[in-house]
Amino acid sequence: MYTLQVLLFSVLKQKVGEGRLTLSLQAPATGTDLLDHLEAQYPVLGDYRSVLRLAVNQEYVPETVALADGDEIALITPVSGG
Amino acid sequence: MQKKENHRWFLLQHEPLDVGAAFTFLQTPKAGGIDLFVGTTRQWTADKETVRLEYDCYEAMALKEMSRLAEEAQARWPVERVCLLHRLGVVPPAEASVVVGVATPHRADAFAACRFLIDTLKEQVPIWKREVYADGSTEWIEGSTPPAVEGR
Repeated sequence: MYTLQVLLFSVLKQKVGEGRLTLSLQAPATGTDLLDHLEAQYPVLGDYRSVLRLAVNQEYVPETVALADGDEIALITPVSGG
Repeated sequence: MQKKENHRWFLLQHEPLDVGAAFTFLQTPKAGGIDLFVGTTRQWTADKETVRLEYDCYEAMALKEMSRLAEEAQARWPVERVCLLHRLGVVPPAEASVVVGVATPHRADAFAACRFLIDTLKEQVPIWKREVYADGSTEWIEGSTPPAVEGR
């Protein structure tokens, strides 16, 4: 099992109601597995799947990324700084 | 949170941004041009009145992405100094939310590098704005394009 920290911001944080989730996933797991797991728990994420990008340990990565125990994952919707 | 080196300065803070301090940081005899862009909160968008903007941020990653952007600017143009400053939390109308600045030997590169930095910050750096309107409604603003992931 992997223990993972998932960070949410902006509209996702508002809709899910949490900024930080701790979850356990069966190993091995990819970013897609994580998103599928999260969407099952929080169906609202389905509306954002096509536009959100993953960051693992503060770097953007493709969804196909292999996760590791202890990873910090952020779901990044299109940004709007400045 | 900030990362400040001799030639590069990245800052995230809730307090008002000091544009003068950015200018001072950018000054160097090696440059003939300094380009400073300041983004501010605009009060009106068509007939919708903004009371304030509020910024959320993935701070540790935002600093990393700012650093990456600055590296790319330094690779593409002869950038002697660069700063990327962003305010977090509440930014009232007319106040600065972001300051992007570069110093280069000649002005053409200063304009180009500065433009690149603000345009790319707005696509890549994990910061989000929320509009708070006069009618009491609020809205998290989504960028028009997801961040680029490939080749990173």
